[in-house]
Amino acid sequence: MEQLVQTETWKAGSLEELVRILHRIFAEEKVSVEEVQALMESYESNPEEWLQYAKFDQYRYTRNLVDNGNGKFNLMILCWGEGHGSSIHDHTDSHCFMKILQGNLKETLFEWPEKKGNGEMSKKSERVLRENQCAYINDSIGLHRVENISHTESAVSLHLYSPPFDSCNTFDQRTGHKHKVKMTFYSQFGERTLC
Amino acid sequence: LPAGLSQWFPALEVLDVSGTGLAELGAELLALPQLHTLLAKNNRLGGPGSLPKGLAEAPLGRSLRVLNLSGNRFAEVPPALLGLRGLQSLSLGGNRLHGIPPDIQELRSLEFLYLGGNFITSIPPELANLPSLSYLVLCDNKIQSIPPQLAQLHSLRSLSLHNNLLTYLPREILNLVHLEELSLRGNPLVVRFVRDLTYNPPSLQELAGRTIKTRNVPYAPSDLPENLVRYLSLASNCPNPKCGGVYFDSCVRQIKFVDFCGKYRLPLMHYLCSPECSSPCSSASQSSTSQSESDSEDEASVAARRMQKVLLG
Repeated sequence: MEQLVQTETWKAGSLEELVRILHRIFAEEKVSVEEVQALMESYESNPEEWLQYAKFDQYRYTRNLVDNGNGKFNLMILCWGEGHGSSIHDHTDSHCFMKILQGNLKETLFEWPEKKGNGEMSKKSERVLRENQCAYINDSIGLHRVENISHTESAVSLHLYSPPFDSCNTFDQRTGHKHKVKMTFYSQFGERTLC
Repeated sequence: LPAGLSQWFPALEVLDVSGTGLAELGAELLALPQLHTLLAKNNRLGGPGSLPKGLAEAPLGRSLRVLNLSGNRFAEVPPALLGLRGLQSLSLGGNRLHGIPPDIQELRSLEFLYLGGNFITSIPPELANLPSLSYLVLCDNKIQSIPPQLAQLHSLRSLSLHNNLLTYLPREILNLVHLEELSLRGNPLVVRFVRDLTYNPPSLQELAGRTIKTRNVPYAPSDLPENLVRYLSLASNCPNPKCGGVYFDSCVRQIKFVDFCGKYRLPLMHYLCSPECSSPCSSASQSSTSQSESDSEDEASVAARRMQKVLLG
């Protein structure tokens, strides 16, 4: 019989195995952030396994759903062309894991703006995430902007959100003013979604 | 590249020689009549002779649709490629460009132009003459101003201007009706109302030119020296709907703020023919405080609201 261990050390040898282990982890009542982050990092990116989900768009980054985790989480692949970046956004009270599958992404963390929101938002920190690294964020940590700052290479990242959400707020860096936006999928399970 | 390339692979359509350390792309490519995509990123291209002579006239010149030269050492846009009339996508990101040649307008089929990550300081108005341009990337450069003519790029869907040296934008930017993405972050955009700037009174030549234009005084090229004929053709229309005048070099520069969501104000530069004129964006001409103009439902307000969605989307 399996012992319920506080934090397991998982190793996912393939994307399929990663998804399987995620389903197991999220079937439990409690999920450890460290456990999920370590699991995501343990998967060594193999393009053959995810190329079918990696659909790029010329004009902006794309969100491609890989697995909807029985409603407990959304696993998706984001494709960033050269110079593509996101706005500053929050995560609607969810946990967000972001693992680099190819290329590099710059993550800039911001403090939540003041209630009155009439001044430039303040940067907390920034870093460049390398291949196979996995970052974690939630609303209590702050807000972030993610961008592919390379002018020559595209980037691909694997994101896990729990619980799943389809809308969030984007923030204007110069004023802190926020604006709710709905998020859509460019493709689901490898099939292009037309809107 | 091997000299026999076009004989061994005459049907070659896509060639990727990225990251191979090439210092030049040679004549062996010219006879590839089916090659539509050439990727040569991250090499050592940039010196004279980086591209083969006679590129535009060769079979390759007619077939090429996509050319990626990003991550090389080009200090100028290589003239050899300006004759590629069928080229749809050009990337020169991450090079050492200091400017964009006006002859860029020769690339009549261009839809996608990536020039991010260079040292570009200004944009030639001729860039606006590319009829199919839909994606323009100018991020991470040293651009100080955008020519108002860029508003003529009617097919523009995405304009990337982040991380430059812009302090304001031309108000004409509101006319880009198909724009879906506009990035402006990392520019020192003016935040406070800037009092009316220095106004150089018009010269006699300018006054004469204005009269000829507004009174429709007829003239033929044989009547005037060539330089004056050219001068008269450069008249700009005053945007003040009640004015209907024109100006040449002497104009009033005024920064008007267009409000977005009540808090964020985008500084747009207006050019008016005299201090007595007022721009169509404002109700009061000489107000000392810049207020939002969302009372009147004129074209500018509608355009501004649409631009608001683009900026925050």
